[in-house]
Amino acid sequence: MIIQVQEADFCVQSLYEKLKVKNRSGAIAIFVGLVREFQGQNSSDSIDDDHCFQLEHYPGMTEHNLKEIIDDANSRWPLLEVCVVHRFGKLALNDQIVFVGVSAAHRAEAFLACDFIMDYLKSRAAFWKKETTSTGSHWVEAKESDSFSLKRWRES
Amino acid sequence: MSQVKVVFFASLKESLGVSEAFIELDGLTSIEEIKQKLNASLVNPDPLFEEGIQCSIDYVFARDSSKVDPDTVKEIAFFPPVTGG
Repeated sequence: MIIQVQEADFCVQSLYEKLKVKNRSGAIAIFVGLVREFQGQNSSDSIDDDHCFQLEHYPGMTEHNLKEIIDDANSRWPLLEVCVVHRFGKLALNDQIVFVGVSAAHRAEAFLACDFIMDYLKSRAAFWKKETTSTGSHWVEAKESDSFSLKRWRES
Repeated sequence: MSQVKVVFFASLKESLGVSEAFIELDGLTSIEEIKQKLNASLVNPDPLFEEGIQCSIDYVFARDSSKVDPDTVKEIAFFPPVTGG
């Protein structure tokens, strides 16, 4: 299990290499989340040079949350390796913000576990986004759809 | 009596105007009771009672009914719904 909560950017290729378990990995599923605009949703004319995000986290709890989520995934599927990297601090639009990688013998469990970990991370990992534009700053609000996404795993 | 640290995050921290507080607890105390203690001690406690505010006890998500043992618990946190990923 690899958990990294860091300010620095990450290299997808090097994280991918860490997920390979020699002679046993048959499938590696990777998700990379990028910073997108929230205010003005889909309106390109709202983008300005000052547009950025500040990601706050709860040191200690964040790592604890991520370990619990990965432990849960490991109890549901036979996984060979899991890697989660999440950034904090100042981020710009299009920056990489999160990496989830799962290595397994077969693609089904790799896909499912990757999806499961992201769904839980969105609702259970202690991060908060603050968006800043030329007109001011606001905290991004949690989406109701994120809590709905968790229900399918509880029902399965 | 034991002292327990309480920390606040994100929009809640900003609206409360403080990042942490210390409360004295005498025996097992529920989160709801701790919120009432903070209501009496914080200058501007209203944001703590807004809908959706969540809490944790030593990094584990908790409910209003969850109990805090001041002899073993190190930190309680209050925060808005998370928005990572």
